[in-house]
Amino acid sequence: METINAEIFTLTYGSMVRQLIADLEDISAVNKQLDEMGYNIGIRLIDEFLAKSKTGKCGDFRETVDRVAKVGFRMFLNTTAAVTNWNAEGTECSLILEDNPLTDFVELPEGCQNLVYCNVLCGVIRGALEQVSINTECSFVRDVLRGSDVSELRLKLLSLNKEEYPFKDDD
Amino acid sequence: MFSASALRLNIVDRPLAKGKSEVSLSAFAFLFSELVQYSQTRVSNIGELERRLEDVGRGVGLRLLETLCHRERGGKRDTRLLDVLKFVHTTLWKYLFGRQARDLEQSNAVDDEYMISDYDLFVTKYISVPKDLGTFTPAAFVAGVVKGVLDGAGFPARVSAHFVAVKGQAKPKTTILVKFEPSVLQRESRLPNT
Amino acid sequence: MPAIYALYVINKSGGLIFNKEFVTIASNSLNDTLRLASIWHSLHAIAVQLAPAPGCTGIELLRADTFDLHCFQTLTGTKFLVVAEPDTPDVEALLRETVYDLYADYVLKNPFYEVEMPIRCELFDQNLFNTIAAVHRRWGLVH
Repeated sequence: METINAEIFTLTYGSMVRQLIADLEDISAVNKQLDEMGYNIGIRLIDEFLAKSKTGKCGDFRETVDRVAKVGFRMFLNTTAAVTNWNAEGTECSLILEDNPLTDFVELPEGCQNLVYCNVLCGVIRGALEQVSINTECSFVRDVLRGSDVSELRLKLLSLNKEEYPFKDDD
Repeated sequence: MFSASALRLNIVDRPLAKGKSEVSLSAFAFLFSELVQYSQTRVSNIGELERRLEDVGRGVGLRLLETLCHRERGGKRDTRLLDVLKFVHTTLWKYLFGRQARDLEQSNAVDDEYMISDYDLFVTKYISVPKDLGTFTPAAFVAGVVKGVLDGAGFPARVSAHFVAVKGQAKPKTTILVKFEPSVLQRESRLPNT
Repeated sequence: MPAIYALYVINKSGGLIFNKEFVTIASNSLNDTLRLASIWHSLHAIAVQLAPAPGCTGIELLRADTFDLHCFQTLTGTKFLVVAEPDTPDVEALLRETVYDLYADYVLKNPFYEVEMPIRCELFDQNLFNTIAAVHRRWGLVH
């Protein structure tokens, strides 16, 4: 797999976030925009993930999350996430990120303390899973840029789309 | 008074890693693709689109100048025009693309214009620009990086990117056109010839 | 002699978003091809329902006297189809790996491509053409 220097990626992302802040000014609007951009990336990135990792249909949500955390993060960000804190039903869990190329050497300035700098990742995961009929909610509950030791994403399974025929006519 | 982060090493004291860790080109490509798509919603013409991509690149370039001078030049920065161009053509290019740029030329027509050209820049590798976008090239981002480096080094210039068809080659080359501000040339002429 | 005649890509909703002939065959008009893609999309889905064995994911191969029709459906619902000379080898791998990779690279990473819309990406066309030409050269077919 072709790679580039991680710093170029880190710096480009940072520069982009700065441009978003200049465009939108309101930090919660920036957070929302980052999530949307992540979603747009996710719906495309999933096919490359499937093509390159030769992933077949996963047996259950646990297996899916495991693939995302181990294979997905490794393939694109050259890091892995640990999966923990499953709820009893197996529909909610946490992804713990210790190492994240997006946040290398990043510090949030005064006035941006509410910025969810990596919110793009939540959108990517949500968008990617939606394309394989898995609807989820994903958000940061702990953030290294806001004082925590690690970043923690909470991932919640909402529903699975079952494909049924006859398909509804396009309305 | 003491937050959790105070117990961690202050960001300025962290060692500036050698810059050897990597991410997939795909990660960059998807991020960049989304940046272009987002930018299209904020502009009304091609010039503005290029400018937005250049702006993002400029932010990267300014920071790369500091990093590369620290790592590769022992903290020194070039102060002569040809030296700074060589820095872009060699050091910056090697950092970004793994090799030095193909060509560095001065314009025949005017003495404040220089061109750095190369093929197959990873930034545009997967992007097919539709015909109705005319001369737009996503390499405007690279032009922005170069502009950031030159601005930070004290060599303000107008920098733009162009796809140039080359006779006998199937693919066009990407040319970064640098037009230095008059103040730069004036300063250059005041300095002794090297 | 093995040969790849044509490649089609169908989006999740059954719309034809790409069609390309590599060898001139008695081809249909675009409208007919669009209609055929739509019909295939429905047949594919019906097959899943009809299949007696559980876990069926759709039609992968249709064999006829004068051609083989291979179909690969991704987990995201996109279908890649190839019409090939009967008994052409390795078509499944070509679809699952090579063509899918080219799609992920030159279509999905193109900011000027809108998902689910017709594919008009020059680099995808070029790379696909080069890939098929190379495969044909290996088999002794000259374009």
